Amino acid sequence: MGLPDMARPAEPSSESRLTYTDGSSRTVYATDVEKPFPEGHLIVSRTDLNGIITHANDAFVEMSGWAREELIGAPHHILRHPDMPKIAFKGLWDDIAAGKKWHGYVKNLRKDGAFYWVYATAVPNIRNGVIVGYTSVRRKPSRTRINELVPVYAQWLAEEKAAS
Amino acid sequence: MTLNFLIAPDFAPERFAGWHMLNTTLQRRSGIGLHLLTPVSAHEQAELLSAGKADLVYANPFDATDMIRTQGYIPFARPAKRYDEMVIATGAESGLTHVEDLKPGCRIALTENRDVKLIGLRLLEPADLTEATIQWVPVDSYQAAARLAIKGEVQAAFFLADAYASLTRMSRSQLRVLVESAISDISHVVLAHPRVGENLPAIEKALLGLGQAPGDNEVLDALGLPNGFEAMNQEEAEFMIDLMDTLLD
Repeated sequence: MGLPDMARPAEPSSESRLTYTDGSSRTVYATDVEKPFPEGHLIVSRTDLNGIITHANDAFVEMSGWAREELIGAPHHILRHPDMPKIAFKGLWDDIAAGKKWHGYVKNLRKDGAFYWVYATAVPNIRNGVIVGYTSVRRKPSRTRINELVPVYAQWLAEEKAAS
Repeated sequence: MTLNFLIAPDFAPERFAGWHMLNTTLQRRSGIGLHLLTPVSAHEQAELLSAGKADLVYANPFDATDMIRTQGYIPFARPAKRYDEMVIATGAESGLTHVEDLKPGCRIALTENRDVKLIGLRLLEPADLTEATIQWVPVDSYQAAARLAIKGEVQAAFFLADAYASLTRMSRSQLRVLVESAISDISHVVLAHPRVGENLPAIEKALLGLGQAPGDNEVLDALGLPNGFEAMNQEEAEFMIDLMDTLLD
């Protein structure tokens, strides 16, 4: 079952219709409010093989704006921000499904439409030689790197929209 | 039969007696002879491990990764409510207030503890600092790291959070914390080699039961682990290792 449409935030926001890799879609609203990354923390989550969240630490709950019980069982793309081009995630699923580590700078969407930047790492959970799920850890990113990537992501997004 | 119980060398000197008290208590309650091994360095620990001399290990989390995944050690306990966190501090007079105030080429004092270094490097990423752009100043103790930061000879120093908390009030008053990790998922681990076999349940029971008998608090306080130990299963250890894997680069 797909995620329900977001509620329109009180702050000024832009509306987008996102379509996810599982074929579902929903309307999201993004504001210009940035939530600062909590100093010294890591955001940790685990998913099953289908990207369904099975574990969320306290920092994840706080930063995402969702309650833990809302996150557990939800697809990880619940965090997908409309400013993120698909190509920025290129290789993510291929890499981790092949047993490799993936890194990337990601702008995440909060439940309330605000955003937060992270440096994300995803690794497969390999048990007895078999991948049984994935762990994702997000840490505070370099602001310099984000400032470099914002125009790059915007250009990629424009190219994706022009091609669709 | 006597088993060797190796303690990772990253505990504070004042905890030395506590580990001996623990060893004596575990022997008495399990009925199994235990010989304590307390290597003074990571190098000496590695030699003991490669010689196959460690039956039981109180391992730091990053060493535990290799012991569990490649040497077959079995995790069975960890300190309860006690996580391995680290602190990056600067001299109170340095004028620095945030990690982002540290610039490439800055001097940072650190001890041999590679867990602290690894987590510290991750906390310095927001300042665009990497291992190669820092001038590392190796020191023998956290007290020495504190002295260099206080005197302004380094811009910052790395500390195990427990060690930072153990500095004198005077030292801490002359330092400023730039950031303290709050990971809450990474801890030391108690491991058993598979050859411990049928002796493990008695040792596990004695360790996890600490805190219930009169006098136990004295042992736990001496160890600096007032909440004692809690069970840790293989999957919990694997989860911790996956998490640490993400911090390696």
